[in-house]
Amino acid sequence: MPYAHARISEAADVLKARLNDLAVKSDIFKAVELKALYDELKVLPTEQKAAFGQEVNALRGELTELVAAAQDPETELASIDVTAPFATNAPTNDRPRLLPAEHGSTHPLMTEITTIVDIFGRMGFAAVESREIDDDHHMFNTLNFPEGHPARDDYDTFTTEQKDKNGKSFIAPAHTSIMQHRILKAGREGLENGTPIASVMPGRVFRNEDLDATHEHTFYQLEGVYVDKGVHAGMLMATLQTFLSTYYGQDLKTKTQPFYFPFTEPSFEFAIERPAQLRKDDSEEQQWLELVGCGMIHPNVLRHAGIDPEIYTGFAFGFGIERLVMMKYGIEDIRHFESARLDFLRQFA
Amino acid sequence: MKVSYNWIQDYLDFPLPPVDELVKKIGAQLGAVESVTDLGVQYKGNIIAKIVSCEPLEGSDHLNVCLIDDGGAAKDVERNSDGLVQVVCGAPNARAGILVAWLPPGATVPSTVGKNPYVLEARKLRGAMSNGMLASPKELAIGDSHEGILEIDYEVLPGADFAETYKLNDYIIDIENKMFTHRPDCFGQLGVAREIAGILGKPFTSPEWYRQPQQNLTTYGSELKLAVKNEVPELVPRFMALAISNVEIGPSSVWMQTFLNRVGIRPINNIVDVTNYYMMLTGQPLHAYDYDKVRALDGGDTATLVARKPRDSERLTLLNGKTIDPRQDAILIATETTPVGLGGVMGGADTEVSDDTKNIILECATFDMYSIRRTSMAHGIFSDAVTRFNKGQSPLQNPAVLLQAAHDMVTGTAEYASNVIDIHNLPDGTAGRGSLHPTVSVTTEYINSRLGLSLNAEEMTQLLKNVECSVDTDGDTLHITTPFWRTDIELREDIVEEVGRLFGFDSLPLQLPHRTVTPIVADPLLQTKSLIRTVLSGFGANEALTYSFVHGKLLEATGQDGSLAFRLNNALSPDLQYYRISLLPSLLDKVHANIKNGYDEFALFELGKGHTTLHQDDDADGLPKEFDMLAFVYSAHDKLKKQGAAFYQAKHYAESLLAELGIAVTVEPIDEMPDVPIVKPYAQQRAGYVYEAESREFLGIIGELAPAIRRHLKLPAHTAGFELHLEPITRLMNSVKRYQPLSRYPSVEQDICLRVTVAQPYGELLTLVRDTLQTHVPSEAVFDLQPVDVYAREDDSEHKQVTFRVRVTHYARTLTDKEVTGLLDRVAEAAAENFSATRI
Repeated sequence: MPYAHARISEAADVLKARLNDLAVKSDIFKAVELKALYDELKVLPTEQKAAFGQEVNALRGELTELVAAAQDPETELASIDVTAPFATNAPTNDRPRLLPAEHGSTHPLMTEITTIVDIFGRMGFAAVESREIDDDHHMFNTLNFPEGHPARDDYDTFTTEQKDKNGKSFIAPAHTSIMQHRILKAGREGLENGTPIASVMPGRVFRNEDLDATHEHTFYQLEGVYVDKGVHAGMLMATLQTFLSTYYGQDLKTKTQPFYFPFTEPSFEFAIERPAQLRKDDSEEQQWLELVGCGMIHPNVLRHAGIDPEIYTGFAFGFGIERLVMMKYGIEDIRHFESARLDFLRQFA
Repeated sequence: MKVSYNWIQDYLDFPLPPVDELVKKIGAQLGAVESVTDLGVQYKGNIIAKIVSCEPLEGSDHLNVCLIDDGGAAKDVERNSDGLVQVVCGAPNARAGILVAWLPPGATVPSTVGKNPYVLEARKLRGAMSNGMLASPKELAIGDSHEGILEIDYEVLPGADFAETYKLNDYIIDIENKMFTHRPDCFGQLGVAREIAGILGKPFTSPEWYRQPQQNLTTYGSELKLAVKNEVPELVPRFMALAISNVEIGPSSVWMQTFLNRVGIRPINNIVDVTNYYMMLTGQPLHAYDYDKVRALDGGDTATLVARKPRDSERLTLLNGKTIDPRQDAILIATETTPVGLGGVMGGADTEVSDDTKNIILECATFDMYSIRRTSMAHGIFSDAVTRFNKGQSPLQNPAVLLQAAHDMVTGTAEYASNVIDIHNLPDGTAGRGSLHPTVSVTTEYINSRLGLSLNAEEMTQLLKNVECSVDTDGDTLHITTPFWRTDIELREDIVEEVGRLFGFDSLPLQLPHRTVTPIVADPLLQTKSLIRTVLSGFGANEALTYSFVHGKLLEATGQDGSLAFRLNNALSPDLQYYRISLLPSLLDKVHANIKNGYDEFALFELGKGHTTLHQDDDADGLPKEFDMLAFVYSAHDKLKKQGAAFYQAKHYAESLLAELGIAVTVEPIDEMPDVPIVKPYAQQRAGYVYEAESREFLGIIGELAPAIRRHLKLPAHTAGFELHLEPITRLMNSVKRYQPLSRYPSVEQDICLRVTVAQPYGELLTLVRDTLQTHVPSEAVFDLQPVDVYAREDDSEHKQVTFRVRVTHYARTLTDKEVTGLLDRVAEAAAENFSATRI
């Protein structure tokens, strides 16, 4: 655009040239040349103001368009040689490089799962990851939830529009217990050859729950199963107590309360004494951590997997990971875990 | 389930332990206690007083001045010479001679306790002194009525403590309902009382009327004609009813009202209250109909109740005022012509017992728990009856509950007016043995081996008998027949549970399982993920987690076809509508917020699963295939003025990572964008496929992002990412690093610069150089090849110059520069021949 005023025309050339080099294109509006034109406008005699002002504004408009064009992501990217290690003419001091190691971090939930799986590994439990999409069969049927049973209501499951081969919606698992049947089936042969089934299954689970600081619709659980001849409820308690004492690095008291799960009989909620450093006060509710849903595997669940409950017995347990981690670090809001906020993630560097 | 400490005490022949101790015991052996409410606090200082005189207050149209006799119970209160206390009262029913609840100065109005406490005082009303107040049922928090003051209907001397008189010095223990999912009997105070005796090790005896109800049902009455038909015996295993005539409808006794109210039931009238009382006591819901309203619907001389499924376009107005179109498979209770109730869920408004009711029908039925649950869900009705019926009440307790409730209704003028009708469809044998399930035989060894205990038959028998199981022992074998109200004991494991719980699970001896020394097999996928985490965090990247569910708009923006993603029926919000197909879009979605938050340069990665309907049944059991993926994004703020393409940054990360995992790769251009969801987010001219170098197995994609995504997600210009499949990586991973023996002889290093056309891919040139060196390098020597520079002169837009550094090491002798120069001459020749390269 030709400008009548020489000073504006000069400034336009300077600014347009500079725009090419600017990384943050909008910085052009902070240029001293532009400010000088506005300053000049203020001191001009009234009769010249209109014409000069119009041109200054026109220049600003032109720059605005250029900035917008430069920022437009629709601009086709130039083709590059993807087989090359770096860009043509890249200076040696500006080649691809890794970021400083001290900024790197693993996610606290994943770190915790690794720690937990490691303890169970030392106790003889193999680990395998749980699924993220499953069917009604594994979520309910194999776990002794009859069709239409009210116990199904306790699990607010997400279902998909797509259906499985039986015409039932797929399910976003609401607990890692979906893995029980698979692990039992896979271990049946070994069991008959004298190898106990001992597995833990960490994984992501989903509940149709509204979000708040202590409720997530997406969270992590770890399931465990142990089956052999002569397994009894005292072994379940001893195993959980040993795990938790190892995890917290101190011997802790435990208690159980009866519970109801269709897939275990008897069923419990297992609580341990809250380690002193995690207690807020001396009240009764601060004394215990209710952590683990557990029980002796229901004979129907064993039978479903082809294991004879007359010969073999076993126990199963499951617990959430988030609460352990929140307590360990004093994390105030469960929603941080899936936020991908570096403010949060880098604290675990 | 709200349990009243005083109510259950009434059914026990030993004193309960203090509430704190009891609550601990319940927690350990019955179920989680959600809360304990001390009811006594509410009624502190409330006194029963007699109104001695009641005179209108001068200058008021409704207030009266009452002089009351409190037997001298209240301290520090103004009295007249007769020792009477003056209270001003506006209630229309205030009159001399009645007993009332008096809240003296200093007492707190019970209904305000724990909310916004209102403490009474002595103050003047219209010039007359009023000491405290006379309270209405509403103020006493025992009912809704506020039209007048409560009239005490109990023979008691003035000055008696109100709370003590009505056993309101009570604790309400709220036990989590979930605990009783399989224990319908524990939805009544009686069932809980029995359990508490059991866990305290004390024998329990149910009241006679419950344990052994009257069996002869034909001798009751004949004044009213009543008929019952059951057209759905599979859904209604039992339907019992009888008629009662000449009832006098009015409020229940204060005693009844206080008991209902404390467990959360609103008192209504003396008939409905009795039905609710027995429901709260036994867990068995009852329903009362107005006999004449039911009969009038059919116009004859008989009132008929029919249990059946709804017919087309039938509608029903329920007690809560809602009019519904009953779901097709609901259990409807109807007359011959008209629906009168949604069986087991809620009664109908048209046949409700009201103030002018003269005759009633009392119904005590059992409904299929699954049907009740579905009907309740379909219509969104969650009544107290539903809570009980959907646990599956025992159809063997109906006679006891019906007859006892009727017994309590037949007072004053009321009379039995029909025989007891009992239509049932019970499982074979149940009626005869008085138990829902056949006798379970189990050895002490079976029980002990599952609990880790060593109890003998006698000890086990006692535990079971305490809760009224009948037990015959035969050596070490127990034959257990459960009482008629137990629906849950069917298997030997159920006996194991029962013995363990009554014994106390906390008292079981702890013992770790025995294990062999066979090492466990590590899961390869978990190992790969763990290694990737360690490597990438060591590379300064941050591991993130993002939701498995994404917004349809994110799929659209990243070019992924929503119809290829699993879609949720019941998503919490549109943000969480689809299962993600790949992970990269979720990470890209998190870039802008971090940039805005002041992070100028960063790398995020996530390990997770992708799903697509393209592979809906590719996994075991015909399930959707789960693709384990690694997604990565690198981004730098525009203000850092990064030069060159961000692609190379992402590529550097991918290659460095894979090198750590022992996988050599090649990256190749995408000639044509395929119609594959995982590729869609990338910009074709700046993206490449990643292949394992030897097998050329596909591992994933690296690239910068397509314009629409950059715009939609406000990505900085210098942003690139990659996404890799973990399955082949896990398979190809090689933790053993390649080792090169050290040579005793010095290496020789030389550079070679080749000018090629701009379009010549670097990768091809590299391969040629490497192959040529490999062919011509001396047999006992090895070489190393590194890129030094790729340079395009400003004055030559047709060409670029590529410089490599070659380092050759011989194991048997010292190499000369000349030998290496000769080697590079061969390279130059080959490059000239194949790519028309010029050596510079």
